[in-house]
Amino acid sequence: MAERIDLEVPATRDALSTVRMVLGGLGARLDFSLDDLEDLYLATGEMLRTALDADALDRLSVKVLIDDGVLRFTAGTFRSAKLRADVSTHAEDCLDLCMLLRTTVDDVLIEDEGGAYRVVLVKRRKVGLA
Amino acid sequence: MSSPDERRVSDPLDLEAPPGQARAFTAEDEEESSAHGGPAADAQGRGRDDSEKLDQYLLRRYHLYGDRSAREQLITMYLPLVRSLARRYASRGEQFDDLVQVGAIGLIKAIDRFDLSRGVELTTYATPNIVGEIKRYFRDKGWSVRVPRGLQELNIRLNKVIDELVPKLQRSPTINELAVAANATPEQVLEALETSQAYNSVSLQASPNGEGGEEDAGLIDYLGGEEEAYDTMEDRTTLAPGFAKLDKRERYILHLRFFEGLTQSQIAERVGISQMHVSRLIRRSLEKLREEIGELDNPQIMRPSGDYPR
Repeated sequence: MAERIDLEVPATRDALSTVRMVLGGLGARLDFSLDDLEDLYLATGEMLRTALDADALDRLSVKVLIDDGVLRFTAGTFRSAKLRADVSTHAEDCLDLCMLLRTTVDDVLIEDEGGAYRVVLVKRRKVGLA
Repeated sequence: MSSPDERRVSDPLDLEAPPGQARAFTAEDEEESSAHGGPAADAQGRGRDDSEKLDQYLLRRYHLYGDRSAREQLITMYLPLVRSLARRYASRGEQFDDLVQVGAIGLIKAIDRFDLSRGVELTTYATPNIVGEIKRYFRDKGWSVRVPRGLQELNIRLNKVIDELVPKLQRSPTINELAVAANATPEQVLEALETSQAYNSVSLQASPNGEGGEEDAGLIDYLGGEEEAYDTMEDRTTLAPGFAKLDKRERYILHLRFFEGLTQSQIAERVGISQMHVSRLIRRSLEKLREEIGELDNPQIMRPSGDYPR
């Protein structure tokens, strides 16, 4: 059964631990492995830190949806062209944000919304786990 | 300052000559004596008489005559005891060498405060002093923010449980599996894992088993032939100041995760450290890279630009 959690937190690094705890709880409910959870923490943490550095935000809106072994993390809204480029552009043999995200989550999407956008990270439970 | 031998001639007290064949107290002595009821219990017939006589001689030299060289000799003699005691605490996330340094402070205090009139052996007096200093260090320095003791203990327990479950399950365990194995709730496990970020990272110079010491090799020694490839890479990292800020092992672990595609558990197995340690190292490395990017504002800074081992 699908479950959705909406969070709005201050756009500060301190608030990221709150996001992480929510992700941990939902990931545990999906029976994600510790490796998958760690990847999820890394992906969301690095993306949000980049967003905080690149965008002048007061509040950060986060939506987490879990359904049938899939966790869909959405954060925004952002306006930074740099963040958008960092998320979606990968330079060869370069450990940039794009590569980090593609290594740690299954899908990275950008949802446009007016003149802004949201970043969506999708993580699926590995086959073989309950 | 004159040596003990030189000063013995004019010694106004009836001090015994330093036993020439006496040996220093070793870690093996400490471990064996602990198993047999204490340092005094196994002294007979093992050359410990000489060692004790030397202790007493040096303690008298220091306390009665202010002979600093005797003090230094005692410190040197008992450093193996400090190492042995420090090793017991080395799996708790602190660098072994730091624990030895702290334990050595306890040893020095014990030597300085030793009361010759009490008739006890130096080991008996020094051991609780050394352990006390190490425990105080953990209390004061181990956690960068205040973490409840229960969570600290669960965190330590989880470290061991993860290491046991990964080979048993042949995959990374889930939070629920960890909770069952650690006799905790999933929420407690998540909270304990979160607090691990408050725990100071174990040095990369630490040995793979989380301990260390002169006889132990560092992580880098376990990289084997692959290390050679890093010589080439290291030369080329001058093009990448961000990566140049990382040491070889940090680059190696990032390489395994992001270029070889190994999971944290697989890296832990490959390198011979715990999964939680790998997690901390990756986070710390990324933090370093981010700081470097912030300082130089160069989007290409994260380029490793090297030949990684295949």
